[in-house]
Amino acid sequence: MIRILSRYSILFILTLLVLAILSFALAYLFPGDVLQNLTGIVPANEIQREALMRQYRLDQPIVFQFVHYLGNLLQGDWGYSSASGLSLREEIGIALPATIELSTYAILMAMFIGIPLGYYAGIRSYSTSDHAINALSITTYSIPVYWFALILILIFSLNLEVAPISGRISLLFDIEPVTGFILIDILLAEGIDRGVALRDAFSHLVIPTFAIGAITTASMVRITRRSVIDVKHRAYIAAARSRGLSGWRIFSQHVLRNALLPILPLMVIQITTLITNAMIVETLFSWPGIGSWLIQAIYQRDYPALRVGMLAVSTLVISLTILIDLFNRIIDPSREKYERASV
Amino acid sequence: MRISSLGYVAFIATLLAVLSACTKRDEQAFYNSGLIYCSESNPVTFNPQLDTSSTTADATAHQIYDRLLDFDPETGRIVPSLASSWLVSDDGLTYAFQLRRDVQFHTTDYFTPSRNFNADDVIFSIDRWRDKNHPFHYVSGGRYPYFESLGLADNIVDVARINGYRVEITLKRRDSSFLANLATDFSVILSAEYGQQLQAQGFPNRIDQYPIGTGPFLFESYRKDHFIRFKQNPDYWIEQAVAKRLIYDITPRSSLRLAKLMTGECDATAFPAQTELEVIRAKEDLVLAEKPGLNIGFWAFNTQRPPFDNQDVRRALAAAIDKNTLLEAVYFDSATRAKTLLPAASWAFQSDADDTAYNPVLARKLLSDAGFPNGFSMTIWAMPVERAYNPNAAKMAELIQRYLAEVGVTATIVSYDWATFRRHLREGLHDSVLIGWSADNGDPDNFYRPLLSCGAIPSGTNRAMWCNQDYDRLLDEALATDNIEERRAIYQQVNRLLYERLPLVPIAHAFRYQAYREELQGMEINPFGGVRFGGVSKTL
Amino acid sequence: MPQFSLYEEAFHPSPWHRTWVAFRESHIAIVGLFVLAIFVIFSLFAPLLTPYDPIAQNIDGLLIPPSWQPNGSISYLFGTDALGRDLFSRIMYGCRVTLGSGFLMVVLAMLIGVSIGTFAGMLRGVRSSIVNHLLDALMAIPTLLIAIIIVAILGTGLVNSMWAITLALIPQFVHRTRSFVRAEMKKEYILASRLDGANKWQLFVHSILPNMTEMLVVQGTLALSVAVIDISALGFLNLGAQSPLPELGAILADGLDVTYLAPWNVALPGLTIFLLVLSINIVGDGLRSALRKRVSH
Repeated sequence: MIRILSRYSILFILTLLVLAILSFALAYLFPGDVLQNLTGIVPANEIQREALMRQYRLDQPIVFQFVHYLGNLLQGDWGYSSASGLSLREEIGIALPATIELSTYAILMAMFIGIPLGYYAGIRSYSTSDHAINALSITTYSIPVYWFALILILIFSLNLEVAPISGRISLLFDIEPVTGFILIDILLAEGIDRGVALRDAFSHLVIPTFAIGAITTASMVRITRRSVIDVKHRAYIAAARSRGLSGWRIFSQHVLRNALLPILPLMVIQITTLITNAMIVETLFSWPGIGSWLIQAIYQRDYPALRVGMLAVSTLVISLTILIDLFNRIIDPSREKYERASV
Repeated sequence: MRISSLGYVAFIATLLAVLSACTKRDEQAFYNSGLIYCSESNPVTFNPQLDTSSTTADATAHQIYDRLLDFDPETGRIVPSLASSWLVSDDGLTYAFQLRRDVQFHTTDYFTPSRNFNADDVIFSIDRWRDKNHPFHYVSGGRYPYFESLGLADNIVDVARINGYRVEITLKRRDSSFLANLATDFSVILSAEYGQQLQAQGFPNRIDQYPIGTGPFLFESYRKDHFIRFKQNPDYWIEQAVAKRLIYDITPRSSLRLAKLMTGECDATAFPAQTELEVIRAKEDLVLAEKPGLNIGFWAFNTQRPPFDNQDVRRALAAAIDKNTLLEAVYFDSATRAKTLLPAASWAFQSDADDTAYNPVLARKLLSDAGFPNGFSMTIWAMPVERAYNPNAAKMAELIQRYLAEVGVTATIVSYDWATFRRHLREGLHDSVLIGWSADNGDPDNFYRPLLSCGAIPSGTNRAMWCNQDYDRLLDEALATDNIEERRAIYQQVNRLLYERLPLVPIAHAFRYQAYREELQGMEINPFGGVRFGGVSKTL
Repeated sequence: MPQFSLYEEAFHPSPWHRTWVAFRESHIAIVGLFVLAIFVIFSLFAPLLTPYDPIAQNIDGLLIPPSWQPNGSISYLFGTDALGRDLFSRIMYGCRVTLGSGFLMVVLAMLIGVSIGTFAGMLRGVRSSIVNHLLDALMAIPTLLIAIIIVAILGTGLVNSMWAITLALIPQFVHRTRSFVRAEMKKEYILASRLDGANKWQLFVHSILPNMTEMLVVQGTLALSVAVIDISALGFLNLGAQSPLPELGAILADGLDVTYLAPWNVALPGLTIFLLVLSINIVGDGLRSALRKRVSH
């Protein structure tokens, strides 16, 4: 156990180091002045430029520069955005939780709808209802997420006028961003009618979550179904059936958990696809998350923002994947390798 | 238990419908107390003295500030605002203003006024841009483009305090457009006390970032590319309906602005695109207000760069394009062809002015005579934002590109984000640019001077970088007389001069539109300036 | 008389033939293959088939509705867009650009990924495990992020976005190849070849590669659907193909501004991408089922 933990910790740190090196290298790879790319500050004159270069150790060999850069990152000095002038830490602190919130709700939807549906389809494999579910899931899985979101907007927001299309909450509410999760922040805020605000935030959440969640749900259905079918054909299920166990017992005692195990490693790919979809959908809904922030940054050629944003998102994603890997390893040590490819 | 995805969707849709019905019934009062305006871009600053862009003026001029005088939106006449009355001396050189009493400046978390508005504030506001030695002159850059382009600072001899509520302004030369200039969006009144406080604290440029004025709304917060928040000014001196909250939702895409208007997330929007006007007219819960605009969209050549310093080259390029096609494709039905700078709404409009016709043969001939038988290459700078005078510069540039290709001229289209674009234009990096001008007051001088006079080059409003002594002389003559007929005749001479020299090609005068939801009362188009939300309320 | 042979030769269908027979059994898969074939024909012969030049603007014919609506005309099958360009021609060229670039990216990613994967699979020891874990971790970075970084360094444009997506597709191939090669290396026929004196290269080319082709085809179809969705997403975000280059996502983005006036500008390109990806996915699914059936029998 300790060995596994330490192995994964080393892996985690190693990966983060590689990411930090990449992000530092970007300061040199991006077009423009290295100092500006690194800090986001535009020096007003030569004297200030010299001082900044000394401060950020740019006059020293690359290794020292990197060490200093690493130190800055860990202390919390992430530089400033060259487009808005705000501290990057502040901006990412607002943007990242918004995306995390959206993704969390989408994943929850995918798990609570997709996995049961997948089980159902797997148990009743090759029957009519299975074919129907399969058809629906492959269709949903093939829709480009941005087109799907556009169609949802056209139908629900513009025609039926039941849902808004931009932001996390009506701008008339001024909610203090304490945690970054709007539903929690509303509960923590004072001086407003919480019921109204919650309803407003909920109506803003529904369509983006559904757009992302539907596609992830379709993937989960397919994966779960495949896993259930594989388990159904195993020898021990045949043995259990020949011993006379009822269908329900076979399901609850054997199929349920054994089918669940292979799914968990595949969640990693689901998460990365989910985050990519979330980033795209954010631009359509003006959702103030890290996706629309990064895309704005690239339109405005805000290199410091891109550098740190990339680091932040990759760190988040990799932490999640390593956690999931660790979790898998702990609960199912029998597996040697974890298939990461999707079905 | 079987839960199909379809069933879930139906459930959510029903839930939404039920929830939205509840929302509409219970929280109407809350939603009605606030106004949301979809604006198209970020304001550059919160002091309209420093910038001529209509985005800045829309955000600040009528919301945060007041002026000495105002324009009546219906008649165009000058009416009192912070100046309750005024007298002009017989020789036209001295203007005496009686100031309104009991007008308070804003009280916010960063400033509490200790006195009412008085003459010191007027002197502070005018001297700031007029007097280079004023402590605030170079704060936030030191450029006052509107006033610089008119050369007003040179013409004012003195701004004197007669008593606490009386100010006298003395000019060097007669200027029949002086009062009109004091009523524009740019002539706002700042708080001298706030300025002194900031100077003592050592943060003078906060005066333009955390503004204080006398207007109907207080500044609350600003997040770039996202929103501006205003609050109601409870002590506003005019008795009118003022919403409790006013929010500018910054949305650069016009199709998204329209969508938000349709769902009700915005109560009014800026600059609906031409293609969207029909949609707005067709919807019953939206209103499209329309007025002939005091504006001009044009194609300006950088006359300081060869070959555009050659008048024949400019005439050739003007003859190479078909203005009618541009009007149809870019403006659809909402503009009239422009022959001169002035639109029909101005009293100095000349309907029989000369205009360049579409003549590609003549264009080729002029080009080869000028020494370019095989044409040349040039850039067309297309502005990235929509304006009433040009709703789609990129599309117009593509069309012009094709016309030019037919006479042998290769054009490349260049664009940047709005702030960078205007900065580069000021530096004169362009060959030609598609841009325009919306008038700030009803006076014709407000078109001719900022656009093409020598004095307007440093301030950046003279996009053609053109300097012609005869032109400037004629403009000054027009200002020196009060006789309307004399002025009109002089402006006709000016039009003739422009037709011969063609530093820019006038393309269209566009209608001004305001799109808003039918629940808004009191919303009207201000032909002489930015949008006003004081007096606008929302009912059901 | 040697005209015909008296004895019927035993007919041994090759593995490919058997897969094809199993594939053919599913009607849906055949329909999917048919639709995919249509798209491939569009892509290959677009310059011959399109009625108009996809970037030619026609000022007089702006926003003409598609031919099945009352105001439409048959000469513009799918109508025109805001600059008067024929939508049908644009979509056909768009298929060419999207599908073509998708295919190119998959082939490239396959070549690079298989090479790296084989190399990693034949390695042993701690080195390989580190490389493996690193690759796994890096595989987790979202495609869009990689694309944004590469576009920031190299600039926008179709080619640069293609590099980004290729980079994002490689880890899948590496992983699959690596696990496949490692599994195969333990098998007995490899041992037999090695005892015969084959070196690593010969092992790979003669023994492992032929067995890998099926896995590669399946992985390739998966990667193709991902590539098509990603390249059109980047085109939609204006980070990839730039106007006026016809790429299905970019055409969709162009149509956004006129969504209410001319909804076909948004519906038709989107529908095309959807059908393209759907057909690839159906064919991929069919292939995988067919392979499973063949292997399990």
